[in-house]
Amino acid sequence: MQALKRSLEILKSSPALFILLLGFGLFPIYTSMADLPFWNDVSMRIMLLGMAALGLNLVLGFGGMVSFGHAAFIGIGAYSVGISQFYGIDNGWLHILFALLFCAAIGLVIGFLALRTKGIYFIMITLAFAQMLYFFFVSLEVFGGDDGMGVDRASFLIIDLWDPLRLYYLIWIALFAVSLLLLLIINSHFGVILQGIKDNESRIEAMGLSALHFKITAYVASAAICGLAGALFANWQEYVSPDIMHWSRSGELMIVIVLGGLSYIAGPLIGAIVFFLLEEFLPELLYFIAPDYSENWMIIFGPMLIAVVLFTKGGLMAIFEQLHRRITQRQNTT
Amino acid sequence: MTITLLLEQVFNGIQSGVTLFLVAAGLTLILGIMDLVFLAHGAQVMIGAYAATGFTLLTGNFYLGIFLAIPLTFASGYLLEYLIIKHLYKRDHMEQVLATFGLILFFNELIRIGFGPAALFSNLPPSLSGFVYILPETPYPVFRLIVIFIGLALAIGIYILVAKTRMGAMVRAGAANPDMTAALGVNIHMLRRFIFSVGASLAGVAGMMLAPLTVVEPGMGEPLLILSLVVIIIGGIGSVRGAFIAAVLVGLVDTIGRVFLPDMLRAFMSQSAADGAGPALASMMIYILMAVILVFKPTGLFPPKG
Repeated sequence: MQALKRSLEILKSSPALFILLLGFGLFPIYTSMADLPFWNDVSMRIMLLGMAALGLNLVLGFGGMVSFGHAAFIGIGAYSVGISQFYGIDNGWLHILFALLFCAAIGLVIGFLALRTKGIYFIMITLAFAQMLYFFFVSLEVFGGDDGMGVDRASFLIIDLWDPLRLYYLIWIALFAVSLLLLLIINSHFGVILQGIKDNESRIEAMGLSALHFKITAYVASAAICGLAGALFANWQEYVSPDIMHWSRSGELMIVIVLGGLSYIAGPLIGAIVFFLLEEFLPELLYFIAPDYSENWMIIFGPMLIAVVLFTKGGLMAIFEQLHRRITQRQNTT
Repeated sequence: MTITLLLEQVFNGIQSGVTLFLVAAGLTLILGIMDLVFLAHGAQVMIGAYAATGFTLLTGNFYLGIFLAIPLTFASGYLLEYLIIKHLYKRDHMEQVLATFGLILFFNELIRIGFGPAALFSNLPPSLSGFVYILPETPYPVFRLIVIFIGLALAIGIYILVAKTRMGAMVRAGAANPDMTAALGVNIHMLRRFIFSVGASLAGVAGMMLAPLTVVEPGMGEPLLILSLVVIIIGGIGSVRGAFIAAVLVGLVDTIGRVFLPDMLRAFMSQSAADGAGPALASMMIYILMAVILVFKPTGLFPPKG
């Protein structure tokens, strides 16, 4: 009870996140009333992408480490499920445990090697490790190589996932837990120091703290969160292939974070929603203007991305915040 | 038999290495001098390949196609810098990654709209499609040999330009301290635009030389971009000499690994498994090479002095 109370208190400190999580939780009620089961599927995809982006945002937004290889951890998480099933382990809890352990272990190795470098070198070495893992899974012919492998939805002891709604709420609970965990991390001693490192690393070092230890810890945590998202993703898609760890997927994760707002706790979730809405509606919009080219929605999305980078500082969350401030100011003056 | 095969693969490795160098040479200067993470350099390769193939199909003459395509790649680089890139220099790396990622999406889609999603094939004129004997009984395609020569000639040209000319002195000064260089009266904006356009044309030339050897399709530049990023990291960001050595190294490791790894793997596993795993493991080897080098030399083999 005490823990629940404290959790709710923390959630209240970030109303945007609270509203989003509530919205995801209540969404199936709406879809069942409006008879739109397809949108449950979309919502699950958004939650999974958002979860992975939340994990990446810990190092990217709060730690200032531009990791260009986090899709690899999603892949490792997903393959943890596929490969476990291949060897006859059907327990979903074990799958998640394996995903977390493997991602944390590999994240530790990559973090230890990559965090020796800075700036462009760091971006590139994380990309290189992700590519290495990508080609590793392509080379594993036993597990389907390039073509990937089919995955059955795992059973979680007494709960099995034959009903899509059960998977929906499993993902939702995971997202809730990850959000809460991140809020706790960000507001903790550790989180404050991590953000301090982002602003001024040498000052943190001068205080007698080892910046590297904090950065590696954050990196491992974010890898594990992406692994969890990957394991659930495998259950959702019922299929795993190296494609989910392609380097452009890592780029996609970054896009989601920047769209929503870097270093806002709710930013990745907003970004994930906007990203999928764009993917869904840009083709339809194009269909009205130029029906022949509705497939080519990237021609609008690309320049849009450039515009977001050039003209907005802090993504959609920053815009919301400004609007909110303006409204409250107006209320105060009247 | 194995000696001729090895020699052939060494030549292929050098050929892919010099092609890689043409992409990496411009990119290492863009990364080093402008401190700009530019991911759309692969798109320049694609533009070069499509321009050459398109003009060749249009005029019916391979040489004329190349002749017309080179100025186009220069112009595309110039325009890109003028319209978008110059606004990105002062931004942080993260924003540069995203904006140039957006450029990749845009260019790939543009090509898809313009030329269709299917791959184009670029045919060599008869004068270039023959073979020469590099050793008795070892025929080698003329065109690949020409690619090696052009790559080496351009490498020497870039070296002279950077190390011996007034322009090169400005480039090097701009790399060491852009503000001071600007204060001394060098137009740093024009200098950046010049480097960027030359880099774009070099990548374009790489694309033109690749076009007859592989297929011309949307997104064809991205694998080359990732490889050339590896080359730049191994060679040291901003070092043209490092890029050259690393490019040849990566080209050789990749090509020779692709041919000989399946053979070596057959000792441990079944033939079909080895054939499947070999090429992927060869691709992995490059990244392992890079990781090992970075562990011992975190700023690459030849970090530029400054």
